[in-house]
Amino acid sequence: MHESCERRTERFLLWIDAVGGYWVCLGDEVTIGQPVRIGGVDIPILGDLSSHHARIRRDGEGYLIEALRDVKVDGHPVQQAALLSNGDVIELGHRVRLVFRRPHALSATARLDFVSRHRTQPSADAIMLMSDTCVLGPKPHSHIVCQKWSEEVILYRHGSDLFCRSPGELEIDGRKFFDKGKITKNSRIAGERFAICLEEL
Amino acid sequence: MPVVSFAAWLVEREFAVIAVEPEGQDIMNLPATEPGDGSQPSVTGQRFAYPGGSRPLDGYTIKRGVGHGGFGEVYFATSDAGKEVALKLIRRSLDIELRGIKQCINLKHPNLLAIFDIKEDGNGDNWVVMEYVSGKCLDDVIAENPQGMPVEKALAWLFGIAAGVTYLHDHGIVHRDLKPGNIFSDEGRVEIGDYGLSKFISCSRRSGHTESVGTVHYMAPEVANGRYGKEIDVYALGIILFEMLTGRVPFEGESVGEVLMKHLTAKPDVSGLAEPYRSVVARALEKDPEKRFRTVPEMIAQLPQPRADIIDSLGGNSANPGLSQLGDAAARAAFSDAPQPLNPVAAMGNNPNQIAAKYVVVAEAIEEEPVQKAATELLSQLRHWWNNLNTPVKVAISVVAVFAFMSSAQVVVPLGVIALIAYGIYRIVWNLTRDEKPKTSPATAQQWTPPPANSPGGNGQPGNGKAPGKGQVANAPKPDNALKTARSIKRAKRLARHKRRKHRNVNPREKALHALVVKSVPQRIGDLLGSMLLATLVAMTMCLVMVIVTSFRSEVPQPEQCAWLLVVSIAGAWGVMIPSKFWEGTKGEPMLRRFVLLIVGLGVGAVAWGASELFMVDLIHDTNFPPPHDFSMPDSFYNGGPRVLAFLAVFGTLLALVRWWRHTDPLRQTRLSLWSMFIASALAGVTAWAWHFPQPWLIMVACTMSASVQMSSPWVHPRKRFGDDDVNNTG
Repeated sequence: MHESCERRTERFLLWIDAVGGYWVCLGDEVTIGQPVRIGGVDIPILGDLSSHHARIRRDGEGYLIEALRDVKVDGHPVQQAALLSNGDVIELGHRVRLVFRRPHALSATARLDFVSRHRTQPSADAIMLMSDTCVLGPKPHSHIVCQKWSEEVILYRHGSDLFCRSPGELEIDGRKFFDKGKITKNSRIAGERFAICLEEL
Repeated sequence: MPVVSFAAWLVEREFAVIAVEPEGQDIMNLPATEPGDGSQPSVTGQRFAYPGGSRPLDGYTIKRGVGHGGFGEVYFATSDAGKEVALKLIRRSLDIELRGIKQCINLKHPNLLAIFDIKEDGNGDNWVVMEYVSGKCLDDVIAENPQGMPVEKALAWLFGIAAGVTYLHDHGIVHRDLKPGNIFSDEGRVEIGDYGLSKFISCSRRSGHTESVGTVHYMAPEVANGRYGKEIDVYALGIILFEMLTGRVPFEGESVGEVLMKHLTAKPDVSGLAEPYRSVVARALEKDPEKRFRTVPEMIAQLPQPRADIIDSLGGNSANPGLSQLGDAAARAAFSDAPQPLNPVAAMGNNPNQIAAKYVVVAEAIEEEPVQKAATELLSQLRHWWNNLNTPVKVAISVVAVFAFMSSAQVVVPLGVIALIAYGIYRIVWNLTRDEKPKTSPATAQQWTPPPANSPGGNGQPGNGKAPGKGQVANAPKPDNALKTARSIKRAKRLARHKRRKHRNVNPREKALHALVVKSVPQRIGDLLGSMLLATLVAMTMCLVMVIVTSFRSEVPQPEQCAWLLVVSIAGAWGVMIPSKFWEGTKGEPMLRRFVLLIVGLGVGAVAWGASELFMVDLIHDTNFPPPHDFSMPDSFYNGGPRVLAFLAVFGTLLALVRWWRHTDPLRQTRLSLWSMFIASALAGVTAWAWHFPQPWLIMVACTMSASVQMSSPWVHPRKRFGDDDVNNTG
């Protein structure tokens, strides 16, 4: 049907102390499938799926899902592609179900949460399709809600680099920064009240 | 137990409980391996000694911190092969914990969190390698259902917990620390953690040092005597069942001591539960361990079996594998197949279950004035019903009620006043006759906490009014010393009456709560300005609503009247908000606050007078309202219309009469409480009546003020009020 997607987009695991682990994809186009080969797809899900099951594309402000195999959105089978909107339940194959969310009105970043009991491989609590920013914070519209935090931490892209912004002192890989600093996909970031750790995939 | 020895024990306990915390801090203070750590460990406990990626234990890579348990930090880690585990770090030589875990290391049960191994790292610290659960903690699930979760769901949890506990008991182990924070669901299976604190039943004699652990809300009374039998787990199960069904624990208090005291003396109020839950909880919470269910299966046998699909919805795939472990075919045969009511509260009062007859609910005859009791009960039922309505319905009912009241006020108000006076006289007589025989009220201890606003049943007892004949009194234990204790507690209650009552709140939580509202002065001023702006907008809307409502009844209010209403409402709202902002989070003296508000009220009165002069407004008395009393006011007050003194008097009274600071309290129960609005409006009505002020203007002002103050003052969602000190996930 489609040529397999060989070029892999950049991704990392975001581990947040006392909150959870998140699978972050930076690319505008991500493929979902069974984790058969290492590096086969951007989001390998250990489920009854084809090796390349679906593709999600960020197009400007919207998201499109492209069905490479059996895909339903809110119960309706997707013929070729369908537009995703906040709260849509994506059904991949017969078992794997994810809910698509756009928590923050001002950011194109989206998030996929598992409804069924499946996990990525290696496992993460949710998948972030990160556009320019990813907001971690106590507010309900944060991309990743960290209820006990007092302040927001924002990961953002500038050019091809990643940065972290949070009011106050930051310690990134042992170096002190104030308010913001550049990070890599393997950074450890610690603020006064939080600690997060990136792990490149 | 003699009161004296209990007091000594209490002191010891309080000390012990507090002692755990610095230790917890110390754990974080020992960052021998923490790279480049110059920063102070945060008070919130969000920091962990080992960051992601570190490998303190050979073969495992830490990914992230999960939480802080009583004895140490818990991490999520993967082994080199990719196995996901939870690692619990045990610093120091906490032999008790280690010994407990070592005894349990080979236990196997689907409802117990598996312990894989215990290993020592290069620093001499011990690590417990445990199963990692990714599902929810029961504590979170309870917090998500502040009014209690559906019965079916609660049963699914309870059966899972019971199966695990039964297995522990069968192996001679008492869990001793059963609490929602220790119970998880993963893949639809209920799993119990932290049974490392368990002790063998045979060595259950008092051993002193382990007493500091455990959460007091779930602690059986006989623990005070150093008795750690299986019955303490039955007791904890009873508390957990109660909490799942109602959303709160039966014994709440502001301090550890108060909660423990209630465990020892107070009767749980189970009247909000339907049968058979009422009798099961009542029996599980018996003070005398001998009177409780002897075993967990015996307790479970009294309850209907949860439906398989509900178990599934906990996150599992099919039937709960743990169920088969409950054994005891006879007990299972007793399970009723009939579908149970989903809401135990709804089922209150009808009791088809014969099981109830077997186990008599213990209800002591509490000496409470019957009329007041009936009224409180009715009121709490009304409140419960009200709280379950959605907002549009609430608004519709309010509007209808206001109309009904206004059209019948001429009859209702005088009648109500007469009834109130009659009741007052009756109450005085009743109190006088009661005081002669105080020994009839040994269990007043139960009334320490006023019934929470939205709890079903409130303060009522089973066996009265609503459910007559059920739960009759039978061999209720009458502790000899309960009288003394009850008296001292009554005194304590009087002292603490105006303190806030909080859900499952002991000292540390309360502290957290206070930390939440401590704000710097500039922050407060910033908040205040925002709130004031918002209050203006809300007041405008409310005034419009008021105008629409009143124009239904008489002619449309004049523009100058509307302007007066708006200006005065805004002035009143601001006047209330400014001092309240600085009282936020403090427990001030109510009389002092009222005095300050009285001064503010005089100011608002002056503004009201000024506005009435400026707009040349004519405040006309609506003849549909009852005429004021006959005592004529002096000319200095009224001369045609109200004069300046009348304004001062009326607004001074209104502001001093209503506890406005409650409207701005960030910890109030709901953001906008229609109840508070009603109270404020009713008091305004009375004030206007007393001062001959033209109706309904003051009511309109009070209503607008209340709405705008509440809507614009910051409010912390109840779910976010607790937590920081509650991270206690895996293990």
